[in-house]
Amino acid sequence: MDASAIAETAEAHGGFLDAVGEFFAGIGDSLYENFVVDDRWLYLVKGLGSTLLITLFALLIGLLLGFVVAIIRATHDKTGRFKILNGICKVYLTVIRGTPVVVQLLIIYFVIFGSVNIDKIFVAVLAFGLNSGAYVAEIVRSGIMSIDNGQFEAGSSLGFSYTQTMVSIILPQAFKNVLPALANEFIVLLKETSVSGYIAIEDLTKGGDIIRSQTYDAFLPLIAVALIYLAIVMLLSHLVSRLERRLAKNDKR
Amino acid sequence: MISVKGLNKSFGELAVLRNVSETIEKGEKVVIIGPSGSGKSTFLRCLNLLEKPTSGEIFFEDVDITKASVKEVNKLRQKMGMVFQHFHLFPHLSIRKNITLAPVKLKLMTQQEADELADELLKKVGLFEKAEAYPNQLSGGQKQRIAIARSLAMKPDVMLFDEPTSALDPEMVGEVLELMKQLAEDGMTMVVVTHEMGFAREVASRVLFMDGGGIVESAPPEEFFSNPKNPRLKEFLSKVL
Repeated sequence: MDASAIAETAEAHGGFLDAVGEFFAGIGDSLYENFVVDDRWLYLVKGLGSTLLITLFALLIGLLLGFVVAIIRATHDKTGRFKILNGICKVYLTVIRGTPVVVQLLIIYFVIFGSVNIDKIFVAVLAFGLNSGAYVAEIVRSGIMSIDNGQFEAGSSLGFSYTQTMVSIILPQAFKNVLPALANEFIVLLKETSVSGYIAIEDLTKGGDIIRSQTYDAFLPLIAVALIYLAIVMLLSHLVSRLERRLAKNDKR
Repeated sequence: MISVKGLNKSFGELAVLRNVSETIEKGEKVVIIGPSGSGKSTFLRCLNLLEKPTSGEIFFEDVDITKASVKEVNKLRQKMGMVFQHFHLFPHLSIRKNITLAPVKLKLMTQQEADELADELLKKVGLFEKAEAYPNQLSGGQKQRIAIARSLAMKPDVMLFDEPTSALDPEMVGEVLELMKQLAEDGMTMVVVTHEMGFAREVASRVLFMDGGGIVESAPPEEFFSNPKNPRLKEFLSKVL
């Protein structure tokens, strides 16, 4: 390749390289425009606050509800007790898992609480908690059913009541077995809260979108939002795998 | 101590136990043998109501346990230790915790008392150094010895053994049988379902032969093995001895 050919190639790529160069030259301005002017970064911080608040409380409701439903269903499967409660739980699972979470959120906000003035965050916590509970319930139930029946019999033969066997013997083992699936459900929940904007909650996603609508720049606000979600999910995964390792100490052979 | 009257048990259409009556006295070591499907495990599991009888009465220390409330049954089971074929140790708990869990949770002992008892029992079964290990780290024979220790921690009046050596490697059978023999010598009332004829001959005070859902022969081991009366038992013994 002689010198003129190299010059020609450089010429051909010049347009693209220029564009990249311009992008990096302009990124400082872009960052300034999108996040600093008018304190726009506050949209993201406040949005993140709402997202975390909704996720945390929905998580607690979901776990509580999920464990209760799972125990009722598993007890019914194993002993035949709780016929009516089991029926109610089945309806709950079918309805929640059979409809989109956005629709559930809209129904709870506009139909159930349509005529009362109520805090939107509370509505979101309720909607996502009810939704997550259904998935947690089936995860936990599968964990309970995966425990060998011999463990129940061993508990009974020592004089434990059904409840004592459940609490001291079955649930600790079931919880350990379903921890990865539960962690997955938490990650899904965190990301699902991004539809809170449908009832005009300014969560993280909505915060980024507000910036976009003010600066007419889609790239930086949305990438920033994505990176924040990613960072939280990675942190969460890390914490869960540490917990898994701690609980796995009895598996070593 | 245990008295069974007219016990029937069916799984759907299948009658597993047909009108079984039997009395087990305090201090007896009763060994139950028989072909598979004869109902011996079901009979044993009825004694502490792990299987609910279809009809009949079971008296344990003069209480009809088939009519007892759930609470009373739980209470009675504390006095009847049970050892399973597949051990059923609690895999999420250390060996020490496996032994102390029940007496502490049922408020029969403080954790400290239970720990002391666990040490004593672990020495008895020869596994003192495994106290902090987990069940998955033990061999089959060791697991079964821990399962026996776990039952003993409840200070039971009677011990039920459901084929305790059937899931073990041949070389580990001996250590479990040795421990059971030791228990028998200590005067424990025992009901043992097993295929170990040597154990039956050596340790049993009485041997029962079950076939087709009933007890067809009951005799002390000398008579049972040397002079069987039931034709089905003769056939069985000619195959297994």
